[in-house]
Amino acid sequence: MIAFKAICKNPFKSLLIFSSITIAVMAIFLISSVSQGVIGMYSKMIKTDGDIIITQKGISDTFFSNVDISLMDKIDKLEHVSSSYAMIVGASPIGHIPIAGIYGTTANHFSHYKLSSGDYPKEGEVILGENLSKQFKTKSINIANKNFEISGVYRSEIGFEEGGVVMNITDAGRLFNRSASFILVSSSSPNEIDGIVQKISNLESEIEVKTTQNFIKEYNQFKIIENSSFVISFLAFAMGLMGIASVMSMIVNSRKEEFGIMRALGKSRFFIIKNLFFETLAMSLSAYLFALILSLGILALLPHIEMLQGYVNGTLSLATALYVLVSTLFMALLGSLFPAWIASKTDPILLINQGCA
Amino acid sequence: MIQASNISHFYGSEQVLFNLSFEVKSGEFLFLSGESGSGKSTLLSILSTLLKPSSGELLLDGKAVESMKDMDYFRQSKIGFVFQFHYLINYLSVYENIALAAMDDKKQNINKILDELGILELSSRYPNEISGGQRQRVAVARALVNEPKIIFADEPTGSLDSKNSTIVYELLQDAQKKGTTVVVASHDMQIQNYATKIIRLKDGQIL
Repeated sequence: MIAFKAICKNPFKSLLIFSSITIAVMAIFLISSVSQGVIGMYSKMIKTDGDIIITQKGISDTFFSNVDISLMDKIDKLEHVSSSYAMIVGASPIGHIPIAGIYGTTANHFSHYKLSSGDYPKEGEVILGENLSKQFKTKSINIANKNFEISGVYRSEIGFEEGGVVMNITDAGRLFNRSASFILVSSSSPNEIDGIVQKISNLESEIEVKTTQNFIKEYNQFKIIENSSFVISFLAFAMGLMGIASVMSMIVNSRKEEFGIMRALGKSRFFIIKNLFFETLAMSLSAYLFALILSLGILALLPHIEMLQGYVNGTLSLATALYVLVSTLFMALLGSLFPAWIASKTDPILLINQGCA
Repeated sequence: MIQASNISHFYGSEQVLFNLSFEVKSGEFLFLSGESGSGKSTLLSILSTLLKPSSGELLLDGKAVESMKDMDYFRQSKIGFVFQFHYLINYLSVYENIALAAMDDKKQNINKILDELGILELSSRYPNEISGGQRQRVAVARALVNEPKIIFADEPTGSLDSKNSTIVYELLQDAQKKGTTVVVASHDMQIQNYATKIIRLKDGQIL
């Protein structure tokens, strides 16, 4: 009861603590979520349509990989292979947009992009993701000094695709001077995938063949993103949590006089710590919930912000939410209860005099 | 009621009290007088258990303070405090400030005491909504609520005008007449009129 009176009677101070915790928790959520979102989008793009991926041997990034597209004919003839398609992934400025993803693909993969208007592209044509299409009112666009007619608009759940351009792989090959970045293979029999991997590996010495699951696990770019995401999230997390602990610690220190008075009135250390525990718990829990709701709102809005072309997406997992909850409560309680415990051991008159100073 | 033997105290390396020994009987009104820096507030803090002395022995109500097992209960049930700056908790109302100090079986006394002190109508107000004199009366009410055996007051009228000072002294004298031991540290020599015993301090020693 006293704990809640303390919160309500000092609305400005309480609002400051609440805001500090909310901002710290939001920073943790948004940085972690956006980093995870980048990885999630790319892995989903690869995982959606294939069981096996073929890239150039010894190339760490699909952007630089070059695989001979004619390999598809041999792959399609292998037992238990249901289909295959090739793709070129690249990025280029398009008109006034400084950078956008460009996906050149074989015609048998066009159906992956759900048309919301127009037709799939023929040579010299492109289709635009819905987000990117909002930036262009013209009937053609210029990519790397070449004009392409816009034949349609597609939608995709994947942010990278929503803000990108899809074209015929022949056109993309001319733009990026390669045959294919990778070939994706689907199998009619999940139990035979390892066997197919082996058979494809035997077809050509300059290729690397992996299941898409293994590729995602081992892909160097993901490791780089994951590692840098971990470092950034950890720093945001540490700074956020230290901020929470510092705020709580300063608040407790500014209330030493009050604790001194309570001790002088015969209130036990337990009484003081118990009330502070509930005060901190109520404050940090409500700030956490508020931060969670705001973060979810912002993450839901991000894909719809035109300027970001849908490239910035966030994924907030339950595990992250729970981890941040436990850490927030722990640091807030540590930040408030530790100085309170130290203060409660001090002679009451010294606390009262420190409070006066 | 209070037996102090060879009480000394240091703040860092500076000694502020020098082997003070004296006794205060039950029901006495002790006036600790002295100039600023004489050590009277430090002595009052030690006598009231709010500060541990560097050395010496203190007995309150026949019990050695140093070896007291339940100091919190002793403070709440046997001791009342009145400070110069009232030290009410600003987010609690007048009633709640007194209830915070009151033992469970004394809570029914709160309204009676507020009425006796003429501040019953202030019970739902907060400390920043009442005058300085009224705050000090609330502080006295808080000190009296548990019917303590000893009341300690440190400059209880330091921030009050003479009219309010007299009211506070009379309240403390009323408590003393009912058998409570009262110990007041102050510059104000007006207290001599109420005191039954005076200890004068100079440079941490009894004159």
